[in-house]
Amino acid sequence: MSNPGRGWEDGTPERLYVITGGRSGPLQSTSLDLVTLIIARSGPRPGMQPEHAAIMRLCQSPLSVAEVSAYLGLPVSVVTVLLGDLLAENQVLSRPPVAPAQLPDLALIEAVIDGLRKL
Amino acid sequence: MVRVGSSPGSPGPTSPVVWALPALVTAAAAVAAVVIVSAPARTPVAWVGAVAFVAVALSCAEAARRGRAIAALRATVAGQEASLSRQEAETVRLAQDLLPDVVERLRKGEFPDEVLASLEDPDAYEPGLTPAFRAAHQAVLRSVLDAVVAEEDLRDSAQRAFVNIARRVQAIVHQQAQELREMEDRHGHSPEVFGDLLRLDHGTALIGRLADSIAVLGGARPGRQWSKAVPLYSVMRGAMSRIIDYQRVELHSVSQVAVVGPAVEPLIHALAELLDNATRYSPPRTKVHLTAVDVNSGIAVEIEDGGVSMSEEARKRAERMLRQAQQGIDLNDLGETPRLGLAVVGRLAQAYDFQVSLRSSAYGGVRAVLVIPQALITTAEAATGVAHGIGTASGPRAALPAAARPAAAQAAIPPARTEPARPEPARTQPARTEAARPEPARPRHARPEHARSEHSRPEPARPATGPRLPADDEEIPVVTERTANGLPQRRRKAHTPAPALPGVHDRATAPAPDAARATTEPEPQVQPGMWLAAFQGGLSGDSQTATSRTGGASQNTDASPDSASKGGQP
Repeated sequence: MSNPGRGWEDGTPERLYVITGGRSGPLQSTSLDLVTLIIARSGPRPGMQPEHAAIMRLCQSPLSVAEVSAYLGLPVSVVTVLLGDLLAENQVLSRPPVAPAQLPDLALIEAVIDGLRKL
Repeated sequence: MVRVGSSPGSPGPTSPVVWALPALVTAAAAVAAVVIVSAPARTPVAWVGAVAFVAVALSCAEAARRGRAIAALRATVAGQEASLSRQEAETVRLAQDLLPDVVERLRKGEFPDEVLASLEDPDAYEPGLTPAFRAAHQAVLRSVLDAVVAEEDLRDSAQRAFVNIARRVQAIVHQQAQELREMEDRHGHSPEVFGDLLRLDHGTALIGRLADSIAVLGGARPGRQWSKAVPLYSVMRGAMSRIIDYQRVELHSVSQVAVVGPAVEPLIHALAELLDNATRYSPPRTKVHLTAVDVNSGIAVEIEDGGVSMSEEARKRAERMLRQAQQGIDLNDLGETPRLGLAVVGRLAQAYDFQVSLRSSAYGGVRAVLVIPQALITTAEAATGVAHGIGTASGPRAALPAAARPAAAQAAIPPARTEPARPEPARTQPARTEAARPEPARPRHARPEHARSEHSRPEPARPATGPRLPADDEEIPVVTERTANGLPQRRRKAHTPAPALPGVHDRATAPAPDAARATTEPEPQVQPGMWLAAFQGGLSGDSQTATSRTGGASQNTDASPDSASKGGQP
């Protein structure tokens, strides 16, 4: 799809606005970020839109929005819309990424890397 | 002189002998009178007798001559009448048989010269017609032929012009749609731009449908060609994406089948026209229901709107329109837009054996049913792998047990269309699924790693929905083990857990998940994103979880170390 060399005809006839139902962003402003972690509360349910089901399957373990987007091959906005639906239905949980303050010092990591290289 | 002009063949009993009789009788009477009368009277009587004889003979001769002339005239008249009736019959034949036949043959595509030559065959005419008459007939035929040919040529060239223009528009629209899709990928992170792009995309799709309609009415294919089968679900959403009010269309359950490549575009187009009709003629707030169900002769796609009911008369008109369109469309008959849509549907239905019917809906609106013949349906796994990476298998499917989820890549695309939930044995062929499965699954394989390495950094511009490397489509050796000095070792991906999935997906077969789980046992723990969780856990000091998780991962022989290592070293 995103690779022109493959030829469009091998892609799919459906356009993105059908998948999102014409929305370009979630209805209520969610704090979804590229690195927000998403985890599904359950497996996909029958009758779900395939994209929703795919997200539910993907997010059995925590996955960032960016990754979901990459796995599905859909732009982030589309994924955000879909996740917004799922969040509204309480099907998935979102968790902001670990705050930078909690992460160890960058210098420490570099020191570790240096140490590893010296091995 | 009496015999002059008499012909043996003259009709009637009036032979020259008959005409001679009065003269002979007169002569005999004169002679008798001369004999009988007294001598002095003999000379005058003889004179009178002679004069009488001459007079009678003359009149008789004249009468005989006229009689013959009349007879000859009668014969001529009769002959002329006969030929006249022959000519009349011939002219009637020309009007009633020949001309329609000629026009028909021309319509069927025979060359005008051939047609004319076959008519010039003398056997084609009754005998006894004058050459001039035949020539005149030929001339009439030729001029009619010329007129018809000229008209057909005109129509042809008009249609070609239509199609030609439509093709150009289609090319532009196609190009634009492609670019829009790329832009959507590029600007996917900013909702404002993205929303605008979606609107543009929608508008472009509408233009594309118009161009397709023109092409179809011009007698050509609708447009794009699809090399592979496309899942019915995608086809239906494709149809939805080409109408204005797609938001009002509710897509319900869809059979897990695919449509063969050549029929995809016509089907999308026909459905789009029907959907357009349904949304156009129902109140703006009502929904239009779109479903597809199995029927004996194939798959029936139903489009039901809750709108204004169609009067019986209107329905008949619409059906007549469809029928007429199936017999061929006269472009002059096409009036307003709504009829254009039905004409297109009829044309497509005729070309691809769709059966279309319009009925009153129980909701009060119209229910359009389009039956796709069995020949155009194929198994779902024959379909092209991609429906935005997911779709195709519509919602109704069992939840997947988490444990059965294989490694990240496979999980990303439960190539859902896989299992036909249909009972027919022909469609449920697990063996085939196994073979077909890795194909769609594989391409995605490369992406996750790519994306992940990008996104584990804080500043990624946007996810790499992007480049799907063509090279990755085929066999990808997966890093499975590591050598002693930590270099990744690749092993050919002999067994993917993917083939087991069909069973997992199949809601029809209950015990299947267990079997699937059994086959995928070795690598169940690692989920997409697990490595990230482990990484974060490690960073946040939760060393216990980190080690246990990574430990678990390293024991997995298959794809998990792959993910871990790839993620670890961007």
